[in-house]
Amino acid sequence: MTVPMIEQPADPDTRSPDSPVVVVDGVWKRLGATDVVQGLSFEIRAGEILGFLGPNGAGKTTTMRMILDIIRPDAGSISVFGRPPGVEHRSRVGYLPEERGLYRDVPVLDTLTYFGALRGLSSAEARSRATRLLTEVGLGDDLRKKAVELSRGMHQKAQVIATVLHEPDLLIVDEPMQGLDPVNAEMLKGLLVAQRDRGAAVVMSTHDMADAQTLCDRILLIDGGRRLLYGSVKDIQSAFSDGAVEVRGSGVSIDAEHYRSVAHAAIADGGVRFLLRDGFPAQELFRELATDGAAVERFEVSAPTLNEIFLRTVAGDERASAVG
Amino acid sequence: MTGRTGRRSRRAEAASLVALVAKRDYVRTVRRRGFVFGTLLLPLSIAGFFFISSFASGELAPGGGGTDFGPRDVALLVVNESDLALAPSVLTPHVRLVERGDGLARLGAGQADELYVVPDGYPTDATVLRFDASDSGFAIDALQRQAAQLRELGLLLQSALLATSDVPPETVARVMAPIGAIDAQTTTGEPVGAGPSLGAFLLPFGFTMLFVLSIFITSGYLLQSVTEEKENRVVEIVLSSVPALPLMAGKIVGLGAAGLTQVIIWALSAVIAVPLLGDRLGDVSSVSLSPITLGLAMLYFALGYLAYGAMFSAVGALAPGSREAQQYAGVFGFAAVVPLIFAGIFLADPQSPLITALALIPFTTPATMLLVLTLTPEVPWLLVVASLVSLSVFTLVATVASARLFRATLLLYGVRPSVSQMISAVFARG
Repeated sequence: MTVPMIEQPADPDTRSPDSPVVVVDGVWKRLGATDVVQGLSFEIRAGEILGFLGPNGAGKTTTMRMILDIIRPDAGSISVFGRPPGVEHRSRVGYLPEERGLYRDVPVLDTLTYFGALRGLSSAEARSRATRLLTEVGLGDDLRKKAVELSRGMHQKAQVIATVLHEPDLLIVDEPMQGLDPVNAEMLKGLLVAQRDRGAAVVMSTHDMADAQTLCDRILLIDGGRRLLYGSVKDIQSAFSDGAVEVRGSGVSIDAEHYRSVAHAAIADGGVRFLLRDGFPAQELFRELATDGAAVERFEVSAPTLNEIFLRTVAGDERASAVG
Repeated sequence: MTGRTGRRSRRAEAASLVALVAKRDYVRTVRRRGFVFGTLLLPLSIAGFFFISSFASGELAPGGGGTDFGPRDVALLVVNESDLALAPSVLTPHVRLVERGDGLARLGAGQADELYVVPDGYPTDATVLRFDASDSGFAIDALQRQAAQLRELGLLLQSALLATSDVPPETVARVMAPIGAIDAQTTTGEPVGAGPSLGAFLLPFGFTMLFVLSIFITSGYLLQSVTEEKENRVVEIVLSSVPALPLMAGKIVGLGAAGLTQVIIWALSAVIAVPLLGDRLGDVSSVSLSPITLGLAMLYFALGYLAYGAMFSAVGALAPGSREAQQYAGVFGFAAVVPLIFAGIFLADPQSPLITALALIPFTTPATMLLVLTLTPEVPWLLVVASLVSLSVFTLVATVASARLFRATLLLYGVRPSVSQMISAVFARG
């Protein structure tokens, strides 16, 4: 572990409009006997959704909590709006944690008013905004209901509204789709895009690669607290462009173990989609299929999905460092 | 922005958040049905307790004669139609020997509630006649008064009967006179002095019990508030706006204010109730509740609440759920009420080493010193200073350690941290 070095941040008044909203620089964090985050560096910019990806225990939530100043890094530095994270940013930051809820025996409007006040709004303003937003999502008749009286879907809507009530410039959402019904999931996706479009920086941790591919402008993939991939979705897919092959025909096995060049195989569009092992070109798979006597009707090299890239990278692909 | 300005801005933000959390927790708590019920129920219960105890104190009054007949007429009117020579003495101070006609006239005029006639058949027939006034008042009062009258009439008749025998007069006097007991200190053997009445003991005991109870009820609200936010999964949302220490401070201030509100209501109830109950409480003049005593009592309450409040908030953060939190908190609760178990020693021997020890052990300091202050006529300043120093140091250490535990363990959902993790958290820097 490196020696702690808390750097003096830049003066916020001199920051250019293009300056990153968040800069994480060489951050380390040890919890118990484990280095949960190891020398992690990345930036979050205004007007983008950064997908924060990684398997369970990768260090995503710990990193988010450090950006929010809920816990402090052991080494390295974090700046938020050009200054160390702290209580003075509370009115500019919104957070939807993975473990989330509402006060069970308190009217939902009162809870949202309190959360808004904690984020720097006056009680009257927080109440007014909460009333308007709850009404917009169809909870206008349930403002005085206690959380315990609300359905799960209503709960979820209220939690999302609590996160954006104060129109934050930095929105951090941890596994936001987890536990959401399809209707609320779509509502949340629309809301995240709207926040980005109004210029907010959005960080979204997720296990759903399809969501990440659809919503995110850039992704950061970490594992074991270390950065594996970092860049725009397009750049990352380009770097892995020869990594996937779609094959249609007879005698094609869907068992990945059957071919030396294949890391992963799955049925797709009436054929089989193969994810190639690192160092094996598509020609090698074609040769194996021919040797195996398969009657190939179609053989198409395609860009891998984020899910495939995730599987390859987390399993250990050296190409990741080239992108990051 | 300079570093100093930034720090000032952070402090101002933190202070406003402490105020916000405190206000919210205060309002929410005092609106709870349980709080309102508890605040009103307790003074009513204590009043009821004193009311009932007043009957007990009437029967246990010094002298064993039970000669308090009530305010209407202290005279015990007796008509002697027997052959016995009835002679009132110091043992029968209320007896007035009257003629039957005169007695009945006084009864009719409302000057007395009862008239007793010793018939000419006495003592062959061991009964006396009792004439009651028609408006003898509240039945329980009348029963209590008549019981006392019968005891005094019994003494009068027993003295007269013994006087007809060959027993020497001094033996008769010794047989009839009550036994006197003098309380002595266990350490020195010196007399304790005039023993306080039951009321004079119950008042400070009740006062102490209220304060200790309030410390625990208020700390209990704190425990409930922390565990509720953990169980409802709200705590991480709150922590992303309010750092752990201002959050804990806000809760301690807000719920402490709620506890203080409760204590003030109880104290006001006592101020109103004690004069009304004064006659029933017996002699309460030995109870010391001077402004200095009250001020010191508030100081012990504040320090006690701070120490227990900080520990309870750490317990709330540490415990996986509310049930476990209540169990952990119960251990502290038992320690705090230990002095009340030894309450008798506070009356019998205020200089006992046990009391000094209990006063200096921070867990038992608040209850011990509240009892000492209310039962001792003069403030024992040396013990007060020593106990305040001990309690203040403990409160400081407990608050810092609890704050560190609170910050380190609040986000552990359903997980009980190991002892080594807790020790690491307590000694962690920053």
